[in-house]
Amino acid sequence: MKSIIKLENLSKSFGEDLVLKSVNREFEEGKIHGIVGNNGSGKTVMMKCVCGFLQPSQGRVFVNYKQVGKEVDFPENMGIIIETPGFLPNLSGLKNLELLASLQRRIHKEIIRQTIRRVGLDPDMKKPVGKYSLGMRQRLGIAQAIMEDPSLLVLDEPFNGLDKNGTGQMRTLIKDLREQGKTILLASHNQIDIDELCDTVCEMDAGVMTMIR
Amino acid sequence: MFKKIRQSFSVAGYNFRQWRRNPRIIITFLLAFILCFLLSDKAVAFAEEHQTTMQIAEAFIWTFGDSNSILLSSLLLILLFSDMPFLSSGTPFYLMRINRRIWVMGQAIYIFLAAGVYLLFILVSTSLVCMTNSFTANMWSKTAAILGYSGEGQAIALPALVKTLEMSHPYQCMASIFFLMLLYALVLIFFMLFFNIWKGQAAGVISVFAFSIYGFLLNPENLQSLFRLPDELAYKTRVWVGWLSPLNQATYHMHNFGYDNLPRLWQTYAIGGALLLLLMLLSLWAIRRYSFHFRGTEGGA
Repeated sequence: MKSIIKLENLSKSFGEDLVLKSVNREFEEGKIHGIVGNNGSGKTVMMKCVCGFLQPSQGRVFVNYKQVGKEVDFPENMGIIIETPGFLPNLSGLKNLELLASLQRRIHKEIIRQTIRRVGLDPDMKKPVGKYSLGMRQRLGIAQAIMEDPSLLVLDEPFNGLDKNGTGQMRTLIKDLREQGKTILLASHNQIDIDELCDTVCEMDAGVMTMIR
Repeated sequence: MFKKIRQSFSVAGYNFRQWRRNPRIIITFLLAFILCFLLSDKAVAFAEEHQTTMQIAEAFIWTFGDSNSILLSSLLLILLFSDMPFLSSGTPFYLMRINRRIWVMGQAIYIFLAAGVYLLFILVSTSLVCMTNSFTANMWSKTAAILGYSGEGQAIALPALVKTLEMSHPYQCMASIFFLMLLYALVLIFFMLFFNIWKGQAAGVISVFAFSIYGFLLNPENLQSLFRLPDELAYKTRVWVGWLSPLNQATYHMHNFGYDNLPRLWQTYAIGGALLLLLMLLSLWAIRRYSFHFRGTEGGA
């Protein structure tokens, strides 16, 4: 199977602090790849390097065979959620997603509405996002990540703020996405999420990545 | 090409949408109004004292024809753009759908429009301050004539000069001052943008203060009194400073109206335009290696 993400000697430091230490790893297409690790272990930094938000201090990141930061600024056809998702607080969830979708104009309004329903929210809800609970924002964040049907998803703590019912719904959704052939990079503190969902699991500890499964 | 332009405007629009109910933006505009009220008070009080009327643009012309007023109003811009380079927790979702260059172009459009809106607000505010005692025809008022020809303008530190009165009409003069202020504000903010992207947020703020202090210290009156320059040398200093100081370049009466070696208005516009283009290109260069740190998403590393 093809490797959709490839990390080559990836290191990242902030001043004297070496956060990622020469990480080498390939992530295969069509699977859910779990990343576990404590706070500060380097999970988010690694994911931000994959997304192209952070420039590696050393090494290279390839997504879809293109070097991030050189051949592409940010990987194409990728949906993301990095911790707490942010939206314009005065607008409704639907309006927020419409604004994001208007950047590329790949999808029409009905698809956005369907995606909002898919994550368990009501697209006709007029309530501004500023008044959403953390769980609702998280659902909306997942909706913006999947609405344009990307082949690759980078989900950093996607179950943050979700209640038991919401977590169950999102787990089912992520499994469905895998069935559709999506590749998912999933970071979570929750061992149950990782055990239940992931095909491969890596552990990050003090910037070092170790394969567990 | 059209898609990239549309995306750049969407990025600028995203920044403007964050103005709604934003206390920082409200405070900036409130302070700007108070500043206009305080700075234009001298001109308004002078007209009331002499029981003469003013042309509606004159309060703006006499107030912002002065370099110190331009400096003060531009410092408030730092508050308006203090969240530069505008990285909120929603920014990652935008970035994934565009590229770095489009993002910088979007910021540039936002800076142009936001600075324009801010200066229009200043223009309207100063006009409001003298509205009850003013007329709209494009001719200088009796107040302007007294200020300019009697030398009283200089006595109360209002830059109502004969050359201003004789070489232009109020609306043309107002437009020139507006564009000079806009150019100065844009250069200042683009300086901040470039240093922000290149060396970080602290460097952005320091650069803008350094830029302002440089302009403030290169003041011909300050230099003359500090070094006790004779008149001939003082004139030469004034000419040099007129060219070297961005703040003096932004001051209307520090220009050549046909009889000295100060920069002409078109030369200032050309220098400012070239500087803006250079700073924009430098920002586009610096963004290639920029690491994004978003507010509100930073948790565990």
